[in-house]
Amino acid sequence: MKDYTKGRSPEMLEPFFPNEMFRHIIVSCFLVILEFVAVIFFPLPFQFVDKPAHIPWFFLPLYNLKKLIHNEVLFISVLALCALFLVSWPFLVRVRSYCLLFLNKIKITNSCTDCYSKVNYPLWQKPVPFAVVIIAIFLVINLCLINV
Amino acid sequence: MNKKTEGINQEITTKSFLQEIIETNITRRLIPKSMSWFGCMGGLSLVAFMIQVITGVFLMFHYIPSAKDAVPSIQNISHNVPYGWFIQRIHAVGPHIMIGMVISHMLRILFKGIYRRPRELHWVSGSCLLILTLFMYYTGSLLSVSNSDGRSAIPISYLYAIHVAGIPMAMGLFMGLHFFMIRNTGISEPL
Repeated sequence: MKDYTKGRSPEMLEPFFPNEMFRHIIVSCFLVILEFVAVIFFPLPFQFVDKPAHIPWFFLPLYNLKKLIHNEVLFISVLALCALFLVSWPFLVRVRSYCLLFLNKIKITNSCTDCYSKVNYPLWQKPVPFAVVIIAIFLVINLCLINV
Repeated sequence: MNKKTEGINQEITTKSFLQEIIETNITRRLIPKSMSWFGCMGGLSLVAFMIQVITGVFLMFHYIPSAKDAVPSIQNISHNVPYGWFIQRIHAVGPHIMIGMVISHMLRILFKGIYRRPRELHWVSGSCLLILTLFMYYTGSLLSVSNSDGRSAIPISYLYAIHVAGIPMAMGLFMGLHFFMIRNTGISEPL
């Protein structure tokens, strides 16, 4: 099991029990309440977007994509490619060139791979992957909203 | 007398073994202070999944997976079984919340860059779990309508088997992998 005490002073640590467990219990109670409220109010009496009732919000991009692509083989291929892209994302952004973008910000000790493993960079500090993610999210939202 | 002493010793060993596990994993465990409330999204997805499993097991007792009886059995659950309407509604609404939780968990991981080395496999198992969850919803939604409306060419008994056994088993496998890797590499700190 990962030891979080290594390299940290006692002030930087907190006990898992009760602190973290209490946090999880609180949010779990919130989830249960949310489900009970959803049981009462769902399905909503109004619709945010014009869609058939049996299509849930998370299948809306796929539903509209299906209407755009009439060829079934092509549609399944696009879906498989998207799934493959999603699954392999960490391996796609682990190329050496991105490391050069941070040369002035971090101390590189041994190799280029070290700067990836030792430091966690938020996505917005990496322009190319950030642009790819934003475009992907924009396309998905657009697919939800278009009326094909 | 010897057997009795042996039995007591074994009981003490088992107790101390359990105590050790509880102390190491829960009561004496220390975590970084930086953990946020949004870090609970993964745990919430698991709670939502457990709610789906519990309500699903209840529904299994009353649901009939045949093209002719599927819809009447759902109506029977809703109208005749005590609290059946409530459990059926929770099972129907739960996936929306669960998928919402999983997507927000993944977006947080994506934007914070926590999927990076050595946690690539966390992302891989997590995204496989999202895809399986979507499949789970799809097969489940086809179970609640009769096949006569042409929404599915697959027999309802096959869909039922995939929904209650095939996908949950695959999900259990990926969840085990996901949690095992989280235990080994931690949640977000650099190793």
